[in-house]
Amino acid sequence: MSYNNHMVRGILPVNCRASLLECGGKRSATPLWEAGLDWESGVVAALCQRTLNASRSSLASLLLCAFALLPLSTHAQDWPQWGGTPARNMYCPATNLPDHFTTGKSGDIKFKGASEEIDLSNVENLKWSAKLGSQSYGNVTVAHGRVFIGTNNENPRDQRHVGDRSILMCFDEKTGELLWQLVVPKLASGKVNDWESLGLLSSPTIEGDRVYVVSSRCEVLCLDAKGMADGNDGPFKDEAKYVVKDVILDKGKPTERPAPPIEPGPKDADIIWQYDMIGELGVFPHNASDCAPLVIGDMVYVNTSNGQDWTHSNIPSPNAPSLIALDKRTGEFLAEDDAKIGPRIFHGQWCSPSTGSVNGRQLIFFGGGDGLCYAFDPRPVKEGDSSYLKKVWWYDCNPPDRKKFKYPAAEGPSEINATPVFWKNRVYTAVGQDPEHGEGVGILTCIDATKTGDITQTGKIWSYDKIHRSISTVSITPDGLLFVGDFSGFLHCFDAETGKLYWTHDMKAHMWSSTLVADGKVYVGDEDGDLVVFEASKEMKILSTTNLGAPIYSTPVVADGILYVSSNTHLFAFQSTGKPMVNLSQPAP
Amino acid sequence: MLAGLGPMSGTASALRGWLSWRGPEQSGYSTETGLPDRISAEDALWRADFPGQSAPVIANGKLYVMGYAGQGADLQEGVACFDAETGQKLWQHLYNDYLSDTIYLRYATASPAIDGETGNVYIQGTQGILAAFAADGTLLWQHSLMEEFGRLTFPNARTASPVIDADLVITRGITANWGTQGPGADRFYAFDKKTGALVWASSPGAPPKDNSYSHPQLGWYRGRRVFFAGTGDGSVVCANARTGEPLWRVSLFRAGINATVLVHHDDKVIAIYGTPYERGQLVALKMPDVLPANAAAGPVVLERKELELWATDTSMRISSSMSSPILVGDTIYGVTEDGDLYSVDANSGTIKWKLKLGIDERNACPLFADGKLYVPMLDDPASKATGESEAGTTGAFYIIRPGEKEGEILCHVALDGRCFGTPVAFNGKLYLQTTRHLYCWGKKGDNPGCSTPSEVKPWPAAGPATQLQVIPSEVLLHPGEKATFRVRSLDANGLTVEDSIPAKQVSWASYIPPTAKVKAAMKGAFDADGVLQAAPDAVPSAGAFEATLGALRGYLRGRVVPNVPTKEDFESFTLTETNASGVVFAYPPLPWIGARYKFDVREKDGSKVLAKTTDNRFFQRATVFIGTPEMSHYTIQADVMSDGNKRKMSEVGVINQHYLIVLKGNEQKLEVNSNQERLRASEEFKWSPNVWYRLKARVERNPDGSAVVQAKAWKRGEPEPAEWTISVPHKTAHPAGSPGLFGFSPQDMPVYIDNVEVTPDAG
Repeated sequence: MSYNNHMVRGILPVNCRASLLECGGKRSATPLWEAGLDWESGVVAALCQRTLNASRSSLASLLLCAFALLPLSTHAQDWPQWGGTPARNMYCPATNLPDHFTTGKSGDIKFKGASEEIDLSNVENLKWSAKLGSQSYGNVTVAHGRVFIGTNNENPRDQRHVGDRSILMCFDEKTGELLWQLVVPKLASGKVNDWESLGLLSSPTIEGDRVYVVSSRCEVLCLDAKGMADGNDGPFKDEAKYVVKDVILDKGKPTERPAPPIEPGPKDADIIWQYDMIGELGVFPHNASDCAPLVIGDMVYVNTSNGQDWTHSNIPSPNAPSLIALDKRTGEFLAEDDAKIGPRIFHGQWCSPSTGSVNGRQLIFFGGGDGLCYAFDPRPVKEGDSSYLKKVWWYDCNPPDRKKFKYPAAEGPSEINATPVFWKNRVYTAVGQDPEHGEGVGILTCIDATKTGDITQTGKIWSYDKIHRSISTVSITPDGLLFVGDFSGFLHCFDAETGKLYWTHDMKAHMWSSTLVADGKVYVGDEDGDLVVFEASKEMKILSTTNLGAPIYSTPVVADGILYVSSNTHLFAFQSTGKPMVNLSQPAP
Repeated sequence: MLAGLGPMSGTASALRGWLSWRGPEQSGYSTETGLPDRISAEDALWRADFPGQSAPVIANGKLYVMGYAGQGADLQEGVACFDAETGQKLWQHLYNDYLSDTIYLRYATASPAIDGETGNVYIQGTQGILAAFAADGTLLWQHSLMEEFGRLTFPNARTASPVIDADLVITRGITANWGTQGPGADRFYAFDKKTGALVWASSPGAPPKDNSYSHPQLGWYRGRRVFFAGTGDGSVVCANARTGEPLWRVSLFRAGINATVLVHHDDKVIAIYGTPYERGQLVALKMPDVLPANAAAGPVVLERKELELWATDTSMRISSSMSSPILVGDTIYGVTEDGDLYSVDANSGTIKWKLKLGIDERNACPLFADGKLYVPMLDDPASKATGESEAGTTGAFYIIRPGEKEGEILCHVALDGRCFGTPVAFNGKLYLQTTRHLYCWGKKGDNPGCSTPSEVKPWPAAGPATQLQVIPSEVLLHPGEKATFRVRSLDANGLTVEDSIPAKQVSWASYIPPTAKVKAAMKGAFDADGVLQAAPDAVPSAGAFEATLGALRGYLRGRVVPNVPTKEDFESFTLTETNASGVVFAYPPLPWIGARYKFDVREKDGSKVLAKTTDNRFFQRATVFIGTPEMSHYTIQADVMSDGNKRKMSEVGVINQHYLIVLKGNEQKLEVNSNQERLRASEEFKWSPNVWYRLKARVERNPDGSAVVQAKAWKRGEPEPAEWTISVPHKTAHPAGSPGLFGFSPQDMPVYIDNVEVTPDAG
């Protein structure tokens, strides 16, 4: 966003991701490095053997050896990260999900009078609802009975923290009760790095009792999933100061002063460690920081959000990395990408990485701010005074004829905001731009993930250039139907193998979020606030349309049989129960 | 001259036409009849290639509109005059963009204004050029608001359209000027429409979140000529249009309000707000009935809940960050952020109907005339669905007949170029500018249904004089230069009592406002004739003067900045201040625009230097002007240094004639730019943190209007290299501009500047 908004209507994109594989499950920690393993030594088989022998890590070997092939045995169907699994396909094998949310199938969910309290008189299949802030881009993740979502602080749950903050809320899966929240103050540099009121954008990744998230201060944070209720676990213990960093009281008045520390209570977040990408790497996030962290073994991989400044020409940190790896246990820096994307960034970078095993070799897939889709080897290689994630292949998603136009012309090139989805040795991604840049041409590409080097000329399996700019991540069903939305408001259904287009549908509103395919249905939200349920088939069929009363910027997800959909202002937990159970979670009056 | 007569009468609009952005009724409404029900892109009466985001203004058969021409470094923005009947271009006056943050061809976002008395035309460009032209294109006066008043630019390039009221041209911008007007604020400015002299500056809003181009809506409030407007802090304000005195403010939202407010029946103010990402509301406020205790008290801050008559439900998404509603009798029409046309009852707030026309609307607003709504949409929904055109290249234009229950689409056409511009109607014709063309539809020749403006009531007679108004209220002089002033007496409401009091009848004295951080005076004095002369010393100074006539008082501010040659080594500064980190410093020279709080003078390596502050990260970047806009043919040289480490260095530079010459730390380059999207060239230049370098730049101008920007950098203490490090040709060169200094510390690495010298070029 600069839109202008720099101030532009100058803003940003945000929640654009996708995934593959089945619905994620509870997975044990995968401490490859802890087991004394080293990416650079030995062959995969040896690694597997040694890992299998390590006490805490039976699944680690599975991840390394056959990551995408093994069924993840899950009892409870969690959705512990963006896309459910590290392949980030917006698909879930759940069943018995609701196909409508109001009486008479289609209708509007209304609020009572001028309030934002939901009028339940016509609502169906609602288990609970929680009031969020006024802007919510953070995609829901769910694990171990806890539901996480990023929002802003326009309806403060804690009166000690009022004003613009980014908030990560953690709700009880059964009741919608707020268990704890993370409060992130805004960066002092203002909207150029941390646009007002956007809230926390990152979709957290949960593994065991740890939550990994990128804050709006361009930090990677590791949190205790249980919050502060079980005490303040370290090494990070400065939560009281963290929550008031750069907060000035009585700004502009003679009594202006820095806010004093606020001691955490049982309903506050417990930060385990913190890694500041601005301070450590000199990263310059453009308007916003966002990434759904990717955890592989003992490493957490994140997009740094490095980008342009408000001039939209200058890249203050062209040498800063775009993708980094940290030790998930300590937050220690381990490696940076070797792609040198910095000088080529069109605007900003908000893509979340995905991963998959290509013929036994694990790769990380990353959409660059330069419009290239990259595959990186996740194993750090030491060179000079840093360690690097080496690129294995790269594919320029922008056709050459578009480069005649200057970014961000409607006919010109775009970056990748969607998450590349890995499916059957292929990677699928669309190109798009910051919503603030409006509509323009797009392209959806199916890339052969088995090649190496510059595969722009050789790696295309199919592409479709009639799609418009899209920041949405694809959904692929097990039988090969691919669904994806675009920013001009069109939903597309393709054959994932061939790229054959089956149908399109005009939502008549911008689409920021991604589709979710589950239980034979496609769930789609748009900027007008319409939640539309389609049949997941080669023929277009709408099952219901429900307006949620506020824009839908995040993607529906399913966990433990519950469908979560958030609008800018509310989180809805839908379940096939007929009438609503009526549990409304609100800030205390 | 007495008030109630002549230019104060408000009946001076002898001209018929569409004189300002909002049209004859200030509400997007015209009494014009006989306008088309149907049009097509092909049957336009004429089409001109003058892209922009502006609304044309029309008088005496001439149409004036902002637009742009050229490409890359040679793109220019300005005003063009067309024969309204034929589309023949009669004249144009274009300006370069310079040193601005305008991006993505967001030019010509404002509209011109025509003075109904003289037919003169006024514009504000995105870079902050405010200019006045006669109807034949003769330039009457111009200001570079960026260099003279510290007007800031923003990537969105939202630029206010001037509005004429009696003898004043009123416009606005976010400025960070000097002294009490140093802190960045959303300010309105009134200039004498004939001379360009500043009459007043006013900041009725709270500290802004955004820049705003909400157009001032003129009216009356408790006997005062006032304007109502949305502001960058999300408020609606009312201020005295004769004096700038802020009267009241109501906060509605936490982001800026760009839409123009409506005044309904003089008893309510209606505003719309929202952001592209968060839906706001359409709100009606009861007209307040308050006045500040005194002129220094600032506006009365009112609570919304005390005044709210009605507001649309947020869930109905009647929300817009930029598109203004229009008022037709008791009905409000507008377009939401999501592309829905709406009709709302102004008395009750009841939403009569909504009609989806597109999925995104930005600057464009509807027009009501001849019983029809003329509605541009940013992107045409139909042609992208059918694949006829690429998304983002084609706008839509609808003609709608609004009823009580619904709007009937009479016509829908796709247009070449996106629609940010607002349509206007006059003399049987419709005009609309897209990002590719200017279109005219309708009937040839004169229209029997041509609109006539409604009767304007004469202004009330002024009461007894209570204050003086000194014009200009701010001056910028070189040493030894003189300034003359016009003095008016005003009554308590700001209405003019006596228009031209001889300056020699007034007594003048240096004045230090009680709130001044730097107790400084402008070096200069008034003579017996009331003429101010700056002292001859080549040192910068700034301060204020008080004018007294009996019990009446008025004020002016002034700056003196040296002409070339000039030198500043900071050694004469006394470091008397201490910051929160314990650093001892002095404030930078008061008359430097944009320096305070972004730079300070401190000790470094045994010398006093100018240091980029990093304690307030909001001021990562600082652009400082140390001269005047007309300066040219000079060389600027300075010593520069950046703190840094392996991953982080800053940027430091100098400005010469609107060109920024900057050493870039992380990129290890020497760059020349001027609006980085327009002109940008660089050469590799290896430089190290914590080492002083010398930077030198000049502009070699050629008779054909082109120039070569030449710059070199070398390690201080080493011999100056014979060759320029970089030479950048520019065909459409900037002809002049103030020398300046630049620092950008995005990662808290301070930069330092010392030994600044500006010397005249030979010849």
